[in-house]
Amino acid sequence: MRYFIEHETVLEYPEAVREHHVELRLTPREDSHQKLIGMEMETEPSAGLRCYRDYYGNQVTTFNIIQPHRRLVTRMRAEVENMLENPFDYPPVPHGDEWEWLRQSLRTTPSLYDYILSRSPATPHLGHLDQRFDFPRHEPGRQVLESVQQAMEWITTVLKYEAGVTNVHSTLAEALNAGAGVCQDFAHLLIAIVRSWKIPARYVMGYLASREEETAPSPPATHAWAEVLIPGRGWSGFDATQQILANDLFIPVAVGRDYLDAAPQRGSFKGDAAGNNPVIRLSISQQ
Amino acid sequence: MAAISSDTSQKPRISYHEFYTDGFIPREHYRPLWEHIQSVGQNAFEAKVHESQLALHAEGVTFTVYGDSDEGIERIWPFDLIPRIIPAGEWSIIEAGLKQRVRALNLFLKDIYHDQRILKDGVVPAELIYQGKDFRREIMGIDPPNDIYTHISGIDIIRDEDGTYLVLEDNLRTPSGVSYMIENRVIERRILPEFFAKYRVRRVEHYPALLLEALRAVSPRGKSQAEIVVLTPGIYNSAYFEHTFLAKEMGVELAEGRDLVAKDDMVYLKTTTGLQRIDVIYRRVDDDFLDPLVFRSDSALGVAGIINAWRAGNIAIVNAPGNGIADDKAVYPYVPDIIRYYLAEAPILKNVPTYQMTNPEERAYVLDNLERMVVKAVSESGGYGMLMGPASTPALRNEFAVKVQEDPRNYIAQPVVQLSRHICYMNGELEARHLDLRPFIIYGDDIKVVPGGLTRVALTKGSLVVNSSQGGGSKDTWVLAE
Repeated sequence: MRYFIEHETVLEYPEAVREHHVELRLTPREDSHQKLIGMEMETEPSAGLRCYRDYYGNQVTTFNIIQPHRRLVTRMRAEVENMLENPFDYPPVPHGDEWEWLRQSLRTTPSLYDYILSRSPATPHLGHLDQRFDFPRHEPGRQVLESVQQAMEWITTVLKYEAGVTNVHSTLAEALNAGAGVCQDFAHLLIAIVRSWKIPARYVMGYLASREEETAPSPPATHAWAEVLIPGRGWSGFDATQQILANDLFIPVAVGRDYLDAAPQRGSFKGDAAGNNPVIRLSISQQ
Repeated sequence: MAAISSDTSQKPRISYHEFYTDGFIPREHYRPLWEHIQSVGQNAFEAKVHESQLALHAEGVTFTVYGDSDEGIERIWPFDLIPRIIPAGEWSIIEAGLKQRVRALNLFLKDIYHDQRILKDGVVPAELIYQGKDFRREIMGIDPPNDIYTHISGIDIIRDEDGTYLVLEDNLRTPSGVSYMIENRVIERRILPEFFAKYRVRRVEHYPALLLEALRAVSPRGKSQAEIVVLTPGIYNSAYFEHTFLAKEMGVELAEGRDLVAKDDMVYLKTTTGLQRIDVIYRRVDDDFLDPLVFRSDSALGVAGIINAWRAGNIAIVNAPGNGIADDKAVYPYVPDIIRYYLAEAPILKNVPTYQMTNPEERAYVLDNLERMVVKAVSESGGYGMLMGPASTPALRNEFAVKVQEDPRNYIAQPVVQLSRHICYMNGELEARHLDLRPFIIYGDDIKVVPGGLTRVALTKGSLVVNSSQGGGSKDTWVLAE
C-alpha cells in the first residue's frame, strides 16, 4: 500500500521566543516492511535542516531559529510504501527454542536490554502498580505470540478507550486508575507486561491509515502501538487499542523505550513558555 | 570482586603510617623534614600556621559545603602545613598504573558508545550498563575529537594496611580539586620556603598550562585555532572557585550557559562585538544539565544544541558527556578486566575488594556484616549517599539494608580499609589522621599524570571519610624527583 502523508504542526507563543532549537522525529521509518519513497520537510520561519540517526534508529531532523519569533510551523510531506500485508507470514520458532533465540539476539545486540530493563512512569515495574490487577503471565510452553495476544485481550478488561481521558504525560498508574486511556496508554501497558516476562518490547509512534471502503475515520492523529521481539520474526507490531497485529495500515515513524524517546517534536527556547499548545494538521491518503 | 571466604579474620589491623616506621622512627624520606620541623620549634611553627590561614583567607581559597538547607556554606579551605612526601620509586608505579587505567577506561567508553564489543564478549554484563543511570543513549555513535572522552580524570588512591596503593574510585565526569592542589603548593612555598631546600620536589603549578595544551590538542580546527571557554554552572556551585581559578590561569573566558548560543551546529560566545566561534568547551556542568534539547529540558545551566554541535564535529566537549558509565561504582569492580580486555596487560594498580549487591550471595554476606562495610550508592560522589559501617547506628544500617534490597544495582559494598595515616598539626599537637590521594591525569596529545595531587585528610580523629564536602582537610603532596 502506498501512502501520501502530510503533517503540519503550528506552535504559537504569546510573547516572542528566541534561540529556539528543535528536534523532529517525523520521518517514516525504513525497514523490511516499509519503503520511504520521498520526503520533504520545511519550517516557517525557514531554517537550515540537518539530520542524524539516533540510538533507536530514528531519523532525526534538527534546526534552530535564533531570532525572536512568535510562530513556528513545521511541515513534513512523505510518500511511503508499506508492504506488510500478512503479519503472520513468518517461519515460527518452536516454542522450546524461543528463549534460546532471544538469548542469542541479546548477545549479538546488547541494546535490546533497554527494551527489557527500562522502567519509567509510563512503563513501570508491574510490582509498583495496583496489585488488585492480575497481570497476565507468559506461561511456560506457550508461544510468545500467543501470550502477547492474550495480554492484549486482557488489557481490554482494565482499560477502555476514551479520547482525552489522559494526556501525553500521564503515567500508566493514572490510566489504570481511571480505567481508561488513549492509544499511548494501551501501548505502554502492553510494553510493561511484556517486559515483565523479560521479553523486549518497545513503543512505536506512527500513523494509522484506513481502508478506502471504510467510512471516513475520525480526524487522523498520530497513533501509538507496541512492538514485541517475536522469536523467528523480529520486531512485530501489536495495537492493543484495536486488538490487532500491525498490518499495512500502520506506518511506523519513531520507536523508543516509551513515548518520550519517540516524541515527534522536542524543542528548547528562551522566552515565555506559557500557552503554546500545538495545532496539528494531519492527512493520510492512499496513492 | 571480593572473595567472601577470605574475610574471616577478625584480627584488628592497624593502618599504615606514612610518616613513622613500625618503630616510631620517621621514614627515611621524612627525616630531613622532621629535623627541620624540630629546629623551627613549636612556637614558630604555630606562627606559620596562623600565617597560612591568613594567606588562604586573603587569596579567597574557599569551598562550599551543602547541609540540610539548600544554601551552601562557604568555608576557608582547611590546609595542614606538614606535607605528604611520595618517593620517586613509589610514584613511578602510581604514574604507570594511572596512565594504564585512563587509557583502558577511555577505550571502554569508546567501545560502549559504539560497537559494544566488551558486552558482546560477555566481559562486562550488558545489564549492568543498561541499568546504569549515567549511560547516555543520546551520545551513541558520536565520535569525539581524537576519540578522547576522559580528558581530565581524578583517580582516588588509598594505601591499605600493608602500604600498597589501591584505587578507591575513578572520577571521570567533572573531577574537582586541582585548584586546591595548586593553592596548597603556593601557600606551602610561601610560608615554609625552607622546607623545600632539602628536597627536589616536582612541580605541580604548571597544571593549567598542561590543561590548556590538552584543550588545544582536541580543537576541531586545530591547535592554532582553538577558542576555549570554561563552562560553569555559576556561583552557587561548590567548585565555582576552581572554575574561576582555572579560567584565569589559562587566560580563557569563564562562561555560563546563557553566555553561549548554538547555531547551525556551531557554538558561539556572545561578546560585546558579536558572536565568537568556540572550539573547545571545558565544561563543569553535569551531563543532565548540559543540553536542555537532549537531556533535562528544565535545565537553565546548559546550552541547547551543544550535543548536536558535538555530533557534527564542530566542538570538543571536555570531559565528554556519558563518561559517568565508566566511573559508575558498579562498573568499578570490572576495571581490572577492562584493562586486560583492551590492553592485554595486567593491572598495575589494584582495586579495593568490592561486593556486588546484584549478586545474591555477596549481598547476603554484606547485609550480615554491615558494621564492617562501607556501602556506597553507585552514582553518587563526594561522600554523599554512603554508609560507613563501623561509625554507623543500627537505625542507619537498617535504613541502608532496606535500600540495598530494594535497588541492589544502585549499591556496592567494600570491606572497611584502614586508610593510611599521617601526622597533622592539630591545635598545637602532632596527631595522626587518615588520608587519601587524588592525582590528576590529563589526556590530550598523550596521557600525563601531574606529579602530586590532592591529599585529603579526615580531620576528625579516627574518621575514614576524607571528602571535603564531609569536612575533610588537605596537605601539600610532594612527589620527589629521582
